[in-house]
Amino acid sequence: MHNQTFRQRVFLYLLVAPAFIVLFGVVIYPFFYNIVLSLSNMNLRHIRDWRIVGFDQYIKVFTEPSQPDFYVVFLKTVIWTAVNLFFHVLLGVFLALVLNQKEIRGKAIFRAILVLPWAVPQLIVALTWRGMFNYEYGSINLMLTQWLGLPGVQWLRQPITAFIAVIITNVWLGFPFMMVIALGALQSIPHDLYEAADIDGASWYHKLRHITIPLIQPVMVPAITLGTIWTFNNLNIVWLVSNAGEPSDQTHLMVSFVYKAAFNFYRYGYGAALSMVIFFILLAFSLTFMKKSHATQNVYS
Amino acid sequence: MKLQTSLRALYALAVAGCIVAASVSMDGCVFKRDPRIRLTIWHQDRIDVRIVLQRQLDRFMQLHPEVRVEQLFKETEELRSGFIIAALAGQGPEIVYGPSDQVGPFEMMHIILPLEDIFSKEWLALIDPRGLTWYKGHLYQVADKLGNHLTLVYNKKLVPVPPTTEEELVRIGKSLTADLNGDGKIDRYGLTWNYTEPFFFIPFMTGFGGWIMDDAGRPTLNSRGTVDGLKFIKRLRDVERIIPNEADYNVADILFKDGNAGMIINGDWSWAGYQNAGLDIGVAPLPKITTTGLWCAPMVSPKGFSLNSNISGEKKTWALELVRFLMSPENQMESARELFTMPTNLQVQQSDFVQQNDIMRNSRLQIDRGRPLPVVPELRAIWDAMRPSYQAVLAGTMTPEQAAEEMQALALRRIKEMNE
Amino acid sequence: MVRGKNTTSLRIAASYLVLGIFSLVALYPVWQIFNISLRPSDRLLSTSLEFLPAHASLRNYVALFTERPFFLWLLNSTFIAVTVTATGVVLASTCGYAFSRYSFIGKKFGLLSLLVTQMFPATMLLLPMYIMLVQLHLINSYLGIVIMYSATALPFCIWQMKGYYDTIPTSLEEAGMIDGCSQLQTFTRIILPLAAPALVITALFSFMAAWTEYVVAAQILQDTEMWTLPLGLKSFESNMGSEWGLYGAASVIVTIPVVVLFLSLSRWLVSGLTLGSVKG
Repeated sequence: MHNQTFRQRVFLYLLVAPAFIVLFGVVIYPFFYNIVLSLSNMNLRHIRDWRIVGFDQYIKVFTEPSQPDFYVVFLKTVIWTAVNLFFHVLLGVFLALVLNQKEIRGKAIFRAILVLPWAVPQLIVALTWRGMFNYEYGSINLMLTQWLGLPGVQWLRQPITAFIAVIITNVWLGFPFMMVIALGALQSIPHDLYEAADIDGASWYHKLRHITIPLIQPVMVPAITLGTIWTFNNLNIVWLVSNAGEPSDQTHLMVSFVYKAAFNFYRYGYGAALSMVIFFILLAFSLTFMKKSHATQNVYS
Repeated sequence: MKLQTSLRALYALAVAGCIVAASVSMDGCVFKRDPRIRLTIWHQDRIDVRIVLQRQLDRFMQLHPEVRVEQLFKETEELRSGFIIAALAGQGPEIVYGPSDQVGPFEMMHIILPLEDIFSKEWLALIDPRGLTWYKGHLYQVADKLGNHLTLVYNKKLVPVPPTTEEELVRIGKSLTADLNGDGKIDRYGLTWNYTEPFFFIPFMTGFGGWIMDDAGRPTLNSRGTVDGLKFIKRLRDVERIIPNEADYNVADILFKDGNAGMIINGDWSWAGYQNAGLDIGVAPLPKITTTGLWCAPMVSPKGFSLNSNISGEKKTWALELVRFLMSPENQMESARELFTMPTNLQVQQSDFVQQNDIMRNSRLQIDRGRPLPVVPELRAIWDAMRPSYQAVLAGTMTPEQAAEEMQALALRRIKEMNE
Repeated sequence: MVRGKNTTSLRIAASYLVLGIFSLVALYPVWQIFNISLRPSDRLLSTSLEFLPAHASLRNYVALFTERPFFLWLLNSTFIAVTVTATGVVLASTCGYAFSRYSFIGKKFGLLSLLVTQMFPATMLLLPMYIMLVQLHLINSYLGIVIMYSATALPFCIWQMKGYYDTIPTSLEEAGMIDGCSQLQTFTRIILPLAAPALVITALFSFMAAWTEYVVAAQILQDTEMWTLPLGLKSFESNMGSEWGLYGAASVIVTIPVVVLFLSLSRWLVSGLTLGSVKG
């Protein structure tokens, strides 16, 4: 559809315009406000009389000694995002494939149960998980010790296990979303492709690798890209399960720094600059990922 | 094909719904005109306080039908950041209610009004001076309640007589701590509290002679008080073994509620809840540390009203009227009776109830032994600096001496960052 | 063939095992929340592996409707969520179609800018957003909140719709055009029904975006009569004296409409109306 007529153009813009008007109406002003703020000295002492000071805040983001160390937190955020996304997608697609088999009965019930983690209010569920990780009374340790005879784990007391605990919680919260997307994506695959493959005697792995994965990709890639962005910036779960960074501020993401800078220490300029840094990290990721996955192009064109 | 048809119908419905709904929300946007003057109070109080407040507001509105007052609960952090954001945009509630430490940052941002010229001297003289929060030469908050203080709460069934010294505390604690069902795990502890938060560490710090900052607002965390306080907590857990291995607020709360802990260190906000859970509780001042001869002193904070600097004219007049009304002896008395909060009105403080009720008497004793919560905005930096090292000591990855040093260094750095 | 039958039943058995295990894992924490709602005296946690709490009662559920304006919150939230869902479905299905089928100047930029809107940490956007909402007189307005929520949900929905349209061959539209359909007709009659699974995902996502959101609602809806469920739930939580019983009960009730919505929509999510049947 390259040579578009005038009517086609009008139709096209009618399709695109409403969504973009809503979106940009809401986003543009805060976005530019933030850029200006990131170049300013707005903080507790200059809340109304702030002025532009250039790149000072950006320099501070990278050079200021921080507790915990900025680069360690950056690394943790990357690990957090990658591990979460890996399990969200893996479990989501896996369960969708299992649910999509025509021989399974009671699909509706399984679907309803498996979507629960997405449907339950997050705050109370995060605190429940925190309770489940308690050393003496948490159900996870009670199960380990009473049922399996294993020693209990001091989940929230050590940095690594606490980090694992928050990841487990978030994997639990996130897999249903990917499962729903994958279920939808699987419907776009024509049955005859599988039938043809069966006639050729193809293995399940061959079918997965050469039919399923390539064909669910157009639908999964946007979910994965945005899932990555959301997970990278998801403060709530880590904050709630680790009780604001326990043990000893070891369980933090980069956004915790933004939150603390703005709300605990009233350093708005610094917070804005750090937001910009996070923004550029995510922009770089999205550009690379989309290029690799050809997400902006139509598969059939 | 049937599916297709119904899908199309669904889509048409969605489009129609979209249009209808948009128009309806337009209507909602034009706010129902209420001729009354509207006042809003933001606070961070729990439900039983809200119920008493609502009763008092209803009475106020009955007296003054031309005013409509609404109370809005906000969680601590959100109240603060939300008020800052709203006030900077020229909006926000007329009255903001809370502990005195919000005065520091609000004053720095010029978003609350100085009150010393607005209220008369005679009226201010009726209030306990500890309920008036002055900062940088101006009065910014008038409080109707004193407290927010930690005390020792004990289950009378398990602890007939509360301890008065740390050695008694250990002795009673040891007699209570037991493995009742013989599974090799302790299932009743002598004492518990939320020991992930530095706020709950303050009484131990003060009991051993420490404090968080000097009069100029400089942190004084690297002190004997910090080190000995930390050592004492470690002793309770690892040597005497009378407190659980790991407890945050919710764990400590449930242990005490279920009768699995004889005593808990908790604030005045918690008493009513324990009574409602059917416990026969007693409230006692925190014990004395015999080696120093000092009482464990919690932080004490007034809770009171500040006025948004964006208000003027009629609204300001009514907001003042409302504050005076809520601060009246009758209303303070009502709160004290129902919530066990300490009134600030000097006359109410002398009433029979406050003087003679067992909980009120002990609460008052604890307040008199407590230390006022600092108002300066740097307090945030100090909490933030204490938390990681304090937790590290409990996790066994840092010695108390190292922790005290780390806290001090981090506090200094944070304060410098805040004020650059 | 014999071998095939054996592996099939083995596969089915394994599938049930997997579904059973994951269902337990999904259910357990939710069961805990249900237990919180049954416990008296606001106990968030329990110290044992009890199946049902001691002294369980439904008092919290009754209190929710008799002592708190829970029904009002439910109504407000339903209204907002339905409006946002309708807006999301309409705008995303049309916009996504353009991005999938047409090439135009700024297409790549447009797609990328959708993502860009999601990349900013929300914390720093609160102040400018509030200033903007005050200027536009959108404080205390449902219109304001519907616009904000739609804007939050749209980027994902558009991308997701576009991704799904991409899997539908363009030959179908060409065939439609030859049969004399207009552009709009080919879109609504041929393409949209085929994209039913994606519409379901868009609807669910938009609904959830409105149903669970708290931070923006707290800024916009200052009037308690306009409160939504997340704001109401939050009022049960206070620093050191949360009403966990009510919170648990409300959480259970809040979950039900989502599951019902999902169940009723999943007919189209996994509908037999797949490309295979059309093309075959």
